[in-house]
Amino acid sequence: MKSKKLLLPYFLLLGGVLILLNVLANRFFFRIDFTDDQRYTLSDATHQIINHLDDPVTVTAYFSQDLPPDVSRVRNDFKNLLQEFHSVSHGKVNYEFVAPNENSNTEQQAVDAGIQPVVINVREKDQAVQKKAYLGAVIHYEDKTQVIPFLQPGSGMEYALASAIRKLTVKNKPEIGLIQGNGEPAKYEFPQVMQELNVLYNVRNVTLNDSVYLGKYKTLILDGPKDSIPPEQLKLLNNYLAQGGNLLVAFDRVDGQLERSRGVAINTGLETWLANKGIQVESSFVTDASCSTISLRQQSGLFSFSTQLQFPYLPIITTFANHPVTKGLEAVSLQFASPMKYTGDSTLTFIPLAKTSRMSGKQHTPVYFDIEHHWTNKDFPLSNEIVAGLLEGKIAGPANARMIVITDGDFAVNGSGQSARQLPGDNINFFVNAVDWLSDDTGLIDLRTKGISSRPLAKIQDGKKSFLKYFNFLLPILLIIIYGVFRAQRKRWIRIKRMEDDYV
Amino acid sequence: MSKTWTIVRRELQSFFDSLTAYIMLVAFLGFSGFFTWISGNDIFFVGQASLQSFFSIAYWTLFLFIPALTMRQLAEENKTGTLEMLLTKPISDWQIVFGKFLSTLILIVIALFLTFPYYFTVWSLGPIDHGAVILGYVGLILMSSAYISIGLFASSVTNNQIVAFLLALIIGIFFHVIFGVLSSSLTGAAGSVFDYLSMSTHFSAISRGVIDSRDIIYFLSIVVMGLMGSEASLAKRNLN
Repeated sequence: MKSKKLLLPYFLLLGGVLILLNVLANRFFFRIDFTDDQRYTLSDATHQIINHLDDPVTVTAYFSQDLPPDVSRVRNDFKNLLQEFHSVSHGKVNYEFVAPNENSNTEQQAVDAGIQPVVINVREKDQAVQKKAYLGAVIHYEDKTQVIPFLQPGSGMEYALASAIRKLTVKNKPEIGLIQGNGEPAKYEFPQVMQELNVLYNVRNVTLNDSVYLGKYKTLILDGPKDSIPPEQLKLLNNYLAQGGNLLVAFDRVDGQLERSRGVAINTGLETWLANKGIQVESSFVTDASCSTISLRQQSGLFSFSTQLQFPYLPIITTFANHPVTKGLEAVSLQFASPMKYTGDSTLTFIPLAKTSRMSGKQHTPVYFDIEHHWTNKDFPLSNEIVAGLLEGKIAGPANARMIVITDGDFAVNGSGQSARQLPGDNINFFVNAVDWLSDDTGLIDLRTKGISSRPLAKIQDGKKSFLKYFNFLLPILLIIIYGVFRAQRKRWIRIKRMEDDYV
Repeated sequence: MSKTWTIVRRELQSFFDSLTAYIMLVAFLGFSGFFTWISGNDIFFVGQASLQSFFSIAYWTLFLFIPALTMRQLAEENKTGTLEMLLTKPISDWQIVFGKFLSTLILIVIALFLTFPYYFTVWSLGPIDHGAVILGYVGLILMSSAYISIGLFASSVTNNQIVAFLLALIIGIFFHVIFGVLSSSLTGAAGSVFDYLSMSTHFSAISRGVIDSRDIIYFLSIVVMGLMGSEASLAKRNLN
């Protein structure tokens, strides 16, 4: 730079180079994923699925254009994901993007394919306009199609895409039997679980009687029987296990009747059957300091208002075994569970899958729920009570069998009608992972829990909590003040030293 | 390089000999600590083992404090005439600018380093995602570098500290907020350009735990632009 005149061209040149560099960087880029669970990298399960494709898969993505950047970022994320699918599958997965809002033709095409529009607010010519946006995709494989009506931004995308491809390409889905006839909830009462299970399995209703051949079922599910189970049915289950069957049992040993403020034991005969196999499920309620809340209506004069109350009979489980069934799970919320223990011999392998927290207790039935009860540490003398376990080995006969027992029959049941509720993702994951593992199909287990980022803090006492709060708030400030005082002191010493007569 | 280091050392010493460094550090740690631990969306309220609440506070506190650190750097030297003295020394303009940039960056790193107790506390309480935390800090450092270079540029074009401070804030607020707001209400190419220019897009991309060459290039471009600008306005006084 020799003169002022050159300054402007110099800056134009510099700006141009930087803009060019940024534009190029957008073409050619790399990313390194530093997250613990490699949330933003394709997982092994996805690799497995798309490496075993026989025929090409075409993904038609219907994404509206001219959307605000935060929405169109979903489009970019999805495009990046498809790019990775394309390269990992060596070109077997192909994709095209269609903009449904370009003309009515393409829009009709999207609607016909089953893409659901979402309404978003956009600012256009100084006016807030509501726009219909399409963020979905259709996957074609051979002559079959699978629709993803709406893509959730984030890491759920990989699962949505991989499981849709899996759904299309899986051959001979294994049969899963859902045992009915003793007051168990029907298929439609757990839509969340069924949606996941239908990806890989055909789920059939099974009534236990002599005319049914149980051997064709990879896994049997016995979830939440309300009535007592006749001994001949249990005998059939025994035979099934003896031939190497796999059984998932989720049942209620206790029944919490909130409207009558009491909890009683349930006897279905299942508990004695399990006890014979060494799994003792007590007829008591586990309580846990880490728990869900219930809302309580209170009347105060003319006003009624509802308050949220911690209710330790609804434990939130965060302690899991390091096992494929529970891998990646973070929090499963149970509704009235019972403690179990294994008293059988060591010829069978028993693994406790899920335990309560370090602050838990149990109460024998019958229990009267005292909503007003003030819970203190004294109420939680026990720790790590087992609420779900896995038994493997020659359980009932010569062949190796596997059985998973969970002491809550409702944790994966949505219910029906008025009382239907949405369940936390990990409840569903736990149930479906259990079925996957029992059926020996561990492919999607990894993906299902991927990117679920609940990382709960440990429960600590209030005193320690406030100590940590103020410790963290004050320590750095104190450190810097101490250093400042020290530095000022040192300078003063040096100054005093300089003032001494013999300072040279 | 040794000349640059001399400047860095001198600047850091002057930070710590005056009250500047202490006020800035105590204010930064006080604000960040208060909102991370005691009030607002604090860590116990969120209940998750992550430092996200700290990062989103620091994203704002750093934005406000950096201009206060950089406003003095070239403007005061210019006003008191020490800049002339400095320029007569056998040091290039680039070394002066880069030295001042580095010294401020080191002060920010010290400030962030002092928040490590937050990290260890949360670590002891839950399963923290280390990758995301480390990259959160990296993101803060990159963002700080960008604002320091903007602040230095603002300080180089004037000899009034207040003007330098305000100018740095005004340029900064575009990157910090305005581009982001514009991008969310615009569609098409303009929207995506503003989205790309917005600091928060790149900061949140890094602090979720993924290093992307695009984000690095973006931050470095702002740094280079700011430093080159400051160097040029120093050089301008020697040119005719």
